[in-house]
Amino acid sequence: MNLLGKLSWSAIPVHQPIIMGTVACIGVIILAALAWVTAKGSWLYLWREWLTSVDHKRIGVMYLVLAMLMLVRGFADGIMMRTQQAVAAGGAQGYLPPEHFDQIFSAHGTIMIFFVAMPLVIGLMNFAVPMQLGVRDVAFPTMNSISLWLTASGVLLTNVSLAIGEFAKTGWVAYPPLSELQFSPGVGVDYYLWSLQIAGVGTLLSGVNFVTTILKLRAPGMGYMRMPVFCWTALATNLLIVAAFPVLTALFAMLLLDRYLGFHFFTVNAGGNAMMYVNLFWIWGHPEVYILALPAFGIFSEVSATFSGKPLFGYRSMVGATMAICVLSYTVWLHHFFTMGASASVNAFFGITSMLIAVPTGVKIFNWLFTMYGGRVRFTVPVLWTVGFMVTFVFGGLTGVLLALPAVDWQVHNSVFLVAHFHHVIIPSVLFGCMAGYNYWFPKAFGFKLDERWGAASFWCWFIGFHLAFMPLYVVGLMGMTRRLQHYDVLSWQPWLLAAEAGAVVILAGIVCQIVQLVVSIRAREQLRDTTGDPWNGRTLEWSTSSPPPAWNFAMLPHVGEIDAFWAKKQRVHARQERSVQRREYEPIEVPKNSPTGFVTAFFAVLTGFALIWHIWWMAGVGLLGAAVTLLCFMFRVEDEVEIPAEQVALFDQSHPVEISL
Amino acid sequence: MTETRWDVAPGDRPGISVSEQGTFSGFFVHTIGLLLAVILTITSFWVANTSVLWTPGVPAGLVVLAIAQMGVHLVFFLHITTGPDNTNNILALAFGVLIVLLVLGGSIVIMANLNENMAAHTEPMNLQMQH
Amino acid sequence: MNIAVGVDDVHEGELVNTSEAGPAPKRIVVSYGFWIFLLSDIVMFSALFAGYAALARATAGGPTGSQLFNQQTVAMETAFLLLSSYSCGLMSLAINSRGYFGTFLGAGVTFLLGAAFLSLELREFATMIAIGATPQRSAFLSAFFTLVGCHGLHVAVGLSWLVLMMIQLAMRGFSPVVERRLHCFSLFWHALDIIWVLIFTVVYLMGVVP
Repeated sequence: MNLLGKLSWSAIPVHQPIIMGTVACIGVIILAALAWVTAKGSWLYLWREWLTSVDHKRIGVMYLVLAMLMLVRGFADGIMMRTQQAVAAGGAQGYLPPEHFDQIFSAHGTIMIFFVAMPLVIGLMNFAVPMQLGVRDVAFPTMNSISLWLTASGVLLTNVSLAIGEFAKTGWVAYPPLSELQFSPGVGVDYYLWSLQIAGVGTLLSGVNFVTTILKLRAPGMGYMRMPVFCWTALATNLLIVAAFPVLTALFAMLLLDRYLGFHFFTVNAGGNAMMYVNLFWIWGHPEVYILALPAFGIFSEVSATFSGKPLFGYRSMVGATMAICVLSYTVWLHHFFTMGASASVNAFFGITSMLIAVPTGVKIFNWLFTMYGGRVRFTVPVLWTVGFMVTFVFGGLTGVLLALPAVDWQVHNSVFLVAHFHHVIIPSVLFGCMAGYNYWFPKAFGFKLDERWGAASFWCWFIGFHLAFMPLYVVGLMGMTRRLQHYDVLSWQPWLLAAEAGAVVILAGIVCQIVQLVVSIRAREQLRDTTGDPWNGRTLEWSTSSPPPAWNFAMLPHVGEIDAFWAKKQRVHARQERSVQRREYEPIEVPKNSPTGFVTAFFAVLTGFALIWHIWWMAGVGLLGAAVTLLCFMFRVEDEVEIPAEQVALFDQSHPVEISL
Repeated sequence: MTETRWDVAPGDRPGISVSEQGTFSGFFVHTIGLLLAVILTITSFWVANTSVLWTPGVPAGLVVLAIAQMGVHLVFFLHITTGPDNTNNILALAFGVLIVLLVLGGSIVIMANLNENMAAHTEPMNLQMQH
Repeated sequence: MNIAVGVDDVHEGELVNTSEAGPAPKRIVVSYGFWIFLLSDIVMFSALFAGYAALARATAGGPTGSQLFNQQTVAMETAFLLLSSYSCGLMSLAINSRGYFGTFLGAGVTFLLGAAFLSLELREFATMIAIGATPQRSAFLSAFFTLVGCHGLHVAVGLSWLVLMMIQLAMRGFSPVVERRLHCFSLFWHALDIIWVLIFTVVYLMGVVP
């Protein structure tokens, strides 16, 4: 019996120079980072303050770091595809052989959805929601850490597939029968399945965590209709996570059973039904896009209200629209497979529901517009991203309403028209929203603002680049170009694809601007310092803390009397009706203890996943045993909280004064 | 001193504190629940294995009995009530039930429809219009 | 109905609405979180049920449910699980009144009944595999083994959890943490019986209806 299962030296793709070059680059960067940390002597700090942290703020930052790194990888995949399609016209074969190109488009989708968009929104929710609710942390802080590190495990496994083995060549949706063992005998699909299964557990735990936090842990006085809208969208999102991710878990388990144990869920023989995979996949897949979009909508609500100096227009209709989207998103999934063969009446039903879901989204757009109308709008970087979203998303959404008609969809299903549509909605909503959120909450997290000019530059590059990259795809999709083509022989498509390539380059400039923005801001952090905790004249409770806040967020939990309680407090203070800072009796505060459980569990998860992929059964056993032991240690731990003495709380407050607090 | 009416944790009996829940009344509630569940279970087996119900109605009957059994579990073992302090628990349960119905019902309808339309027809092609 | 709560203080003597009362006590938070997790688990089972429903007739010329399922075995399994749910309920009563003997007795009975359920199920699987009705035989059998097997796996995890909880109870006594975890266990155990109701109805009872 081979001790290393299917693993051998031939798993390393030495004959593929592009991959080896990439691996070498990533290796150099990782080594450089490790060397830098060692040189600064920061390992203990890193372990104590970040890797074992259960503080929602730190966890949120780590999610965002993960997401930004994977954005670079996912974008690299994207621009490689654009370049290949720009040159591979007529007889030209381009520079990417089909086996490699197939892995690239599969990795691009997988990474962007699971390892960029999800960590972005979950990270921002992690950072902001507890503070907006006026509490100290989420309901289950250690589980929060486990969620983060399981997501990181998925990231690691997917990236290891670059260097050892291969990735799936099935597209990010991995339909059988192509993804079955018979037609994908390599390890690629296994890398895909195990990475996502592990990360999926983490996401599900996050969903449970946040639903509980939002429903059961809010500051005194904060009834449901006094919560910030971002918290409402977070609630809807996490309800969808709890409702949708288990379906994906079951589905991937079924495919794994087919591949590993010869079951017949989706095989071509013995009664398997590949259509059922498509059905169950999209039962998860459609709520997933709303999981991504809803927090972004919440960010736009916060940003538009704050920078217009006005309350959000139509709070109740916003809440109603959010919960309506939450429920309706579970009734439209068949529109992803109109062409699979359901009858006209079934298709029509789902076409109607798909059009219906545009209505609450429209309500939200109007509410944002009316929020800004009549306000004194400050065109900061978050507002640029917001306006860019409103302009772009409306058109993207309209193409969605077009596609909701089965008759239209039959013409353009699986063409690049579809590719253009979903990028036209996901990028403005999720990416622009998270960039807005990143710029908006950065001063709160780190104590200094981000540079405005480079931020604006990155926005304009993204905005122009996005349109240049994706509008030609509508045209060439209507001309008949299918998606995922490694080469094509219709030469009239090429000019459009060259334009799309140019757009991708402009987006690259936008990403570079974002990196420059960060570097410049760190260099100039003293000039950009946020000294009041409230750099934007904000409305919600997180702005009543110092920047960055202490681990315990609030020395005393605020008592909330209305929506936008912090803003109301500021009005009363300016009208001299109240003192700006209440005299306070400091009490000791219990905060959850840091724990290595998350990090160690993730280590064993990676070990188990890698072992299962390569059929190294003994190693998988070791990994599972290790995870079980870790869980036992966590279960039997004696102390789970640390008490911060009142003097320490008082000292922090005195050395980090804020102008106004509740 | 303000009095806070907290929600009830799922599984706790509403209206009384945790320490008061270990009484004889709790024992009676659980025992009644067991008896009801046993009766419903026996009925299910009886309905399925004999022809006491009209045969095409058996699946529907079984579903009704199953729902009743689940209800007995929820009410007698998990103490789910419709009181105001149970609202969050019921809402969560209702949300879960809605999702389950959508997933199950939607999948059954869709898969049946797909299977019917996509099945290989071995008999000569039906020249009539098919829906 | 919202009572206008002043920003600086809460009015004395007024009943505070639950939604405005501030962060809930830990027992409620932990139980509710576990309740939500259970709902996610039920959604996962519904996906497996959907798969089973779609593949129930896909026997690929192999054995069907009515040929394989033994009603007596299923009846006994159902009885064991239902009684274990009852004994778990009695265990909860003992926990609430902090009775060590009642708790250990209830846990022991629950464990034995649950283990009996599992052993019957494992024997059923072994018998089926021995006659060639393996999950690799047909899509129907794949779906059957996965759905029923997943439930059995949950029962096994539950039994292990019960053992660990009894160890922890012996070590730590009725601390708040232990009480919360035992409460979560009982939620889990009752949920498993609820899912079993659906399984024996849809898979076994409907499986034998012509």
